[in-house]
Amino acid sequence: MALDLKKLDGIGWQENGQAVLSGMALAMLRRLDRLFLLWAGECGAEEYRFPTFIEAGQLHKLDYFRSFPHLVTFPVALDTSPEHLKEFSRSAVIDEAGVVQLGKCAPVREVLTPAACYHFYVLFQGTELKTARNLTTVATCFRREAYYRPLERQWNFTMREIVRIGAAEEVKDFLADYRARIERFLSDIGLPVAWENATDPFFDPSRNPKFLAQKLEPVKTEMVFGGALAIGSINFHRNFFGETFDMRRNGEAAFSGCVAFGVERWLYAFLSRFGPDERSWPSVLRSHGIAGDLANDK
Amino acid sequence: MMTEAEIRQKLREWVVRQSGKIRPEELADDTAIIEKRIIKSVRIPDLILFIEEHSGRTIDVEQLKPGVFRNIDTIYRNFFAVKADGPGPEKA
Repeated sequence: MALDLKKLDGIGWQENGQAVLSGMALAMLRRLDRLFLLWAGECGAEEYRFPTFIEAGQLHKLDYFRSFPHLVTFPVALDTSPEHLKEFSRSAVIDEAGVVQLGKCAPVREVLTPAACYHFYVLFQGTELKTARNLTTVATCFRREAYYRPLERQWNFTMREIVRIGAAEEVKDFLADYRARIERFLSDIGLPVAWENATDPFFDPSRNPKFLAQKLEPVKTEMVFGGALAIGSINFHRNFFGETFDMRRNGEAAFSGCVAFGVERWLYAFLSRFGPDERSWPSVLRSHGIAGDLANDK
Repeated sequence: MMTEAEIRQKLREWVVRQSGKIRPEELADDTAIIEKRIIKSVRIPDLILFIEEHSGRTIDVEQLKPGVFRNIDTIYRNFFAVKADGPGPEKA
């Protein structure tokens, strides 16, 4: 995978872990997400678009800050008292290292979305589901990491998710169907991906019983490209979100599961496997609507 | 020394007591206790201590394999049916 993304047209890189996409790279990213949306449509998933922030109080119910403090990013605003705003605006504002001298801040009650599907469990909180719900959304997700690499590991990145909330068997069937669907596609286009059991990236995992539970009864299967890069995952949450957010199906805590795609990572896998010029990509990719005439995509 | 039936009974009683929601008659030896979240993740360290106490074995958490705590059957097979000096637990 000796792909130098910095030399490719349409991919700009900021050292703080953020990519700028344009031209062909952006068109390819959109085509990939369109493909995932098409797959979501196969189960009739309702599409949602959520805000960038999610309430910290809701994530706290999931014990999120104990499990993933190293990943979280908060939106911060200044304290709005006239005295403080005056003081701030008259200060140097930024020091030589580029660090903003915030002074007093307003209370922080939100988090920048760390995973797209959390919004659904908050939305359906306290509801009895008459039928299983199939849902999809795409979100810019934010995760602090120890290091960043273009497309592979970014502070913010695009996550498409297809979600089902329902009874245990309904969710298991959904996840099995999507795994088969994705396996067929990967085999058809010749993208080498291994399915591997994984755990969520817990902070201090050896002290976290949730990590132990995931290790003992795997609930996360990653689609691993090139032996190291997880471009997506299939996740069975059991009834964890159902109990936490009081979602019920047939009178019992609902089960849930999601299929998640890291869209920039899929782009990376495609560029690595098929080369930087989509005009030379195999025709099978055109038949799936991913390649072909990208330059004309708006 | 406890018989197999007594050990299984003790494990079932522990699971029912810890879960707080399942009735004894609902719990079979092949009921998936973690997958169904009858035993929640926060209780797993207690389960390990309970097994250590009753089996006389020390459990190395790093060496635990997927599936060993799936149900009463797998727990019995992996931690009670094998000799203390036998191979480590690994059968799901």
